[in-house]
Amino acid sequence: MAELRSRGRADSGAPARILMNEETTDPELLSAFKNGDAEALGVLMERHKAALYGYLLRLTRSASASDDIFQEVFLKLVRNPSAYGEREKFKAWLFTVARNAAMDHFRRESSRAEVPLEGTGEKAGPADFAASPEPGPAEAAENKALGERIAAALDRLSPDQREIFYLRHYSELSFREIAELLSLPIGTVLARMSRAAALLRKILEDEGQ
Amino acid sequence: MNCGYGEKLILYAYGEAEAGLKASVEAHLAGCAACRGELAALGKAGAWLSAYRAEPSPSAVAAVLLAARAARRGFSFGWREAVLSGALAAVLAGVFSFSSRSAGADLAWNSGLDSKLDSVEYSVYQAQSEMTAASADWDYRYSALEDESLNAGDNV
Repeated sequence: MAELRSRGRADSGAPARILMNEETTDPELLSAFKNGDAEALGVLMERHKAALYGYLLRLTRSASASDDIFQEVFLKLVRNPSAYGEREKFKAWLFTVARNAAMDHFRRESSRAEVPLEGTGEKAGPADFAASPEPGPAEAAENKALGERIAAALDRLSPDQREIFYLRHYSELSFREIAELLSLPIGTVLARMSRAAALLRKILEDEGQ
Repeated sequence: MNCGYGEKLILYAYGEAEAGLKASVEAHLAGCAACRGELAALGKAGAWLSAYRAEPSPSAVAAVLLAARAARRGFSFGWREAVLSGALAAVLAGVFSFSSRSAGADLAWNSGLDSKLDSVEYSVYQAQSEMTAASADWDYRYSALEDESLNAGDNV
């Protein structure tokens, strides 16, 4: 932690703040937050917000539900910074809490109305995701067609397969970590992912012809 | 696919295969069109997801930051604030004890509030007395009427 220097005066009573950059680790930021530096949580949130929100949006298919769950996850840290036990990777904790909150959301939704557990039925549309970078018209049309095929293919995966696919993509956790997060044997996780890959190939090849 | 490389291919595709497995999968890929197709499908789906970036609404992020600042402000109660609070509490305690001693124990007894309470209590007492008197008066008149009625019956 040599690159981190205290910004607060030791005798001031104010929380000692660290100089934060991309090399500051998640545990260091959390430690700074626990010691009273609120901005450390902002840096942490900035670091993980796109991945976490992207995962939630794919999972729930609802921008408002994803916003609520996103808030819920970080407010849990605000209320109880010790909720993250530091025994695991922070990202694994983050995605575990987010997944559990999403499951609670599905349960609430399904108790209110007959909604399938894998989604609210309200699909996240193009307005919820911003494409980057901006392609030309021909490329855009081609990308759109391919995108529609991929989206349709992902929709045809089972919820279990899709969940692992999204978790691996957005969290970048290893399959072993995902197996721990889902309390499943690693073989089960890899087998589901393998079936997902086979199905994606079949759908994309069939629809490409 | 029944080439037996399904799960190995997944580890390879996501960069989790150790050197020996990686070499084995690469050798297998040269002769397995199905595995090449799966690898390509995973790549396309992953690239498509990566091409789109979504972020939480600014209000959701701001709400968390606001809560974090409020919570940490409460948490970062430094020793200077603690000393100042202690001093303030001591001064207030001193002022209270001094004023209590000079006013004496009958402070409340002699206050305006106490005399007003006495007045309310007296009014209630007066109302009760009047009601009791009216009730006794009514009882008396009722008995008198009964007597008159009995006497009239005797005379009949």
